[in-house]
Amino acid sequence: MAFGKFLTKRLLQGAIVIWGVVTVTFGLRAASPGDPVNLIVDPATSPEIREQIREDLGLNEPIYVQYIEYLRDLLVGDFGYSYQSSRDVAALVIERIPATLELALAATVVAIVIAIPLGVISGTRRNEPADYGATLFSLVGISTPNFWLGIMLILVLAVQFGIFPTGQRPVALHDALWTFATTLHAGELLTWVRHITLPAIALGTYFTALITRLTRSGMVDELGKPYVTATEAKGLPEVLIRYKHVLRNTMIPIVTVLGLQLGTLIGGAVITETVFAWPGLGLRLINSIYALDWPLIQGILIFIGVGFVLINIVVDSLYAYLNPRVIEE
Amino acid sequence: MNNNLGMPRDTAIDRRGFLKFAGASAAVATTGLAGCLGEENGNGNGDADEIDEFVVTQGEFVENADPNDHNATPYYNVFDQVYEPIFNVTGDGEIEERVVTDWEHPEDGVVSLTIRDDVLFHGGEELVASDVAYTINRQVDEDIGFPSDQVAGMTTIAEAEAEDDTTVLVEYEGAESLVEFQLANFGRAVNEEWVEGQDQPISDDMNGTGPYQLEEYEADVQAVYTRFDDYWGEEPPFETVRFNAAAESSSRVGALQTGESDLVVNVPPTDVETVDTEEGIEIRNVTSFRNIFLVMKSEIEPFDSQEFRQAMNYAVDNEGIINSVLGGFGQPMTQPIPEGLFGYNPDLDPYEQDQALAEELVEESGYAGEEITLQSMEGRYLNDAEVAQTAASQIDQLENVDCEIEIVPFDAISDAASEGPDFEEIPFYLIGWGNPTGDADYGLSPWFTSGGGQYNFVDEELDERLIESQQIDDEDEREATLQEINADIREEAPWVFLHLEESIYGVRDDLEWEPLQDESIYIDQMDL
Repeated sequence: MAFGKFLTKRLLQGAIVIWGVVTVTFGLRAASPGDPVNLIVDPATSPEIREQIREDLGLNEPIYVQYIEYLRDLLVGDFGYSYQSSRDVAALVIERIPATLELALAATVVAIVIAIPLGVISGTRRNEPADYGATLFSLVGISTPNFWLGIMLILVLAVQFGIFPTGQRPVALHDALWTFATTLHAGELLTWVRHITLPAIALGTYFTALITRLTRSGMVDELGKPYVTATEAKGLPEVLIRYKHVLRNTMIPIVTVLGLQLGTLIGGAVITETVFAWPGLGLRLINSIYALDWPLIQGILIFIGVGFVLINIVVDSLYAYLNPRVIEE
Repeated sequence: MNNNLGMPRDTAIDRRGFLKFAGASAAVATTGLAGCLGEENGNGNGDADEIDEFVVTQGEFVENADPNDHNATPYYNVFDQVYEPIFNVTGDGEIEERVVTDWEHPEDGVVSLTIRDDVLFHGGEELVASDVAYTINRQVDEDIGFPSDQVAGMTTIAEAEAEDDTTVLVEYEGAESLVEFQLANFGRAVNEEWVEGQDQPISDDMNGTGPYQLEEYEADVQAVYTRFDDYWGEEPPFETVRFNAAAESSSRVGALQTGESDLVVNVPPTDVETVDTEEGIEIRNVTSFRNIFLVMKSEIEPFDSQEFRQAMNYAVDNEGIINSVLGGFGQPMTQPIPEGLFGYNPDLDPYEQDQALAEELVEESGYAGEEITLQSMEGRYLNDAEVAQTAASQIDQLENVDCEIEIVPFDAISDAASEGPDFEEIPFYLIGWGNPTGDADYGLSPWFTSGGGQYNFVDEELDERLIESQQIDDEDEREATLQEINADIREEAPWVFLHLEESIYGVRDDLEWEPLQDESIYIDQMDL
């Protein structure tokens, strides 16, 4: 019962946040300079047609009427039509989600594969060269802008050494997996891996550095606890103590951060996707911003906002389910 | 923008000369006929078949697949492989045998087009005259499908009608030569029945009569084409062609260096040396038909003074900007239209920087001590914000004028251009203007006639002269009139004349292809 109340409260809070996102994006649209009709038709188009378009889009209505109508349309899933392509905004958003999710997940995998061993080594070898190295890596990783890193990766690993391609997404992951599952040919899957590696590193480096730091500090905390001394006294091997007992306890906050950071990764993909011409939501957002295609900008931002809120609710709920004290607090 | 020309740089030619090049380049592009470029086209050398796929990487990609929904060169480049122009004009001014095979004027204001009877659309439908009429009407009639952006390029054309299966009658208001330019540049045959069965505008499919047919289209991302086996003309060079986009210039250059792309557009001047010194790839560049200039709205003080406007021109060092900001890529403007267009005046020189004279003119104007703001977008044209910044700082160096720079979104500038000469919010701004039709009218009328979409300068006499020039049928007379108008506009100084933008491409060095001044890319004009 308490959990149900907790969940309801979180959902209501989430709804308020989403309403806030919708309102802010609408406010930005209303405050931005420029006549939307110029984005839809050539300036030479007759005044009658321009007026008709204005009428059709409701641009002649007072701003509060436009706002109410926009909210009403959103409630029935109508995000409007892109000024540039005249296509349904919801469709334009949905078709780009897989590419962005692929990138975000690949960046997460990169982060986990590198950060956790590095964090463990750093935490268990405090003040040794390995620790200094890992700390330096974390510092550099957190400080490096991902657009610069992306360009450097292209210049070094693609142009100079020719190990990876410079970008693009010639095949979708689900298609590559399907081909592999049905024919056992891994060609497409390898192509996908080659193309996503550099963007995933560029996007995941900040995240890797963050997780490395979290893992290190968690390891340091846990290693000082009495149960570690007890397990050592029992004569358990050091590797078992570190990886089975200590790391497991360290992972609880890390898993939470992993979930929450997925939303951040989707936002961070905007720059990475542009550098690597990776056709995801971020690239579409950038293109729509360049073109001031407001219905599309709003649609993408609302989607990212909703995604963020949902991930937060799921993580909070899992936490509350696993640890009922959170509900009481 | 589209089917223009591949004339060599620094070559002044008359209108027929222009047409010759226009005809040649477009013919090579779509029919594979040997043209005036002096090289064999098609896949004559056979090497083109040795590559699996030819890849072109642009900076941006079209958001839907409708050939009539846009009026921008990178988008035309995607469409022009599939949708061919309806006709070309030879150097003698005759119709070249394309989709339209013949051309005559049965009466004033009407042109009769005869259509080939052996042209198939990629969907298998036969091209008939009603398709060509529909193609034209879809562009000029706002009630068919949707209001097309291309209406701006077809200002003299009223409507088209199919007389029978192979004859189209086009009604127009203006000089014959203008109609020729406009139809040759903007007409691309679509299939009426197929188009009417699609969403308007068409979102993700193409059905043209050109040398390539669409295999795959991903909005904003890429289009893949294969040869169309039933194409009525000669076979194009590559079996498969891919157009894609990378907004980041270093990514485009990287794709060229790694061989992922065979041709990339808009190589930044800073990367030119890198590309040119690398084995297997090289830079090719051409001065484009795109002007970059600073507009001064004539109904807003201090720009209502001719002396003040001239002073702005004398304050700015065009050559210096080209050399320092654009890496030497660009040509100073001498008048409102680029060299090579019909009506270009070869006797005019650029304004040369003379700050003392500029200060004198400011004093004469009565606006000494004026504070002005130059507004510019960033990222639309080659180093645009840096160009604006340099120009503003050179104006600011005048003792009697303070000039600041402000960066605003392109849309705000675009609005300012269409808001008329008394729009106070943005009275002084940087903008670029492409001239796709090959005729001065497209570069002048929108800016200097009261009905034009970019009317920023009020001069009733100039307005009338331009309208009259559209009706002059005698080519020599019309050319002389346009040249005179260009000289007068230079003197009136409605703009700070900056430069003609340079198109800089990176290509594999075995590619037989010369860039075109109108920035078009025709795959079947190429070979290896």
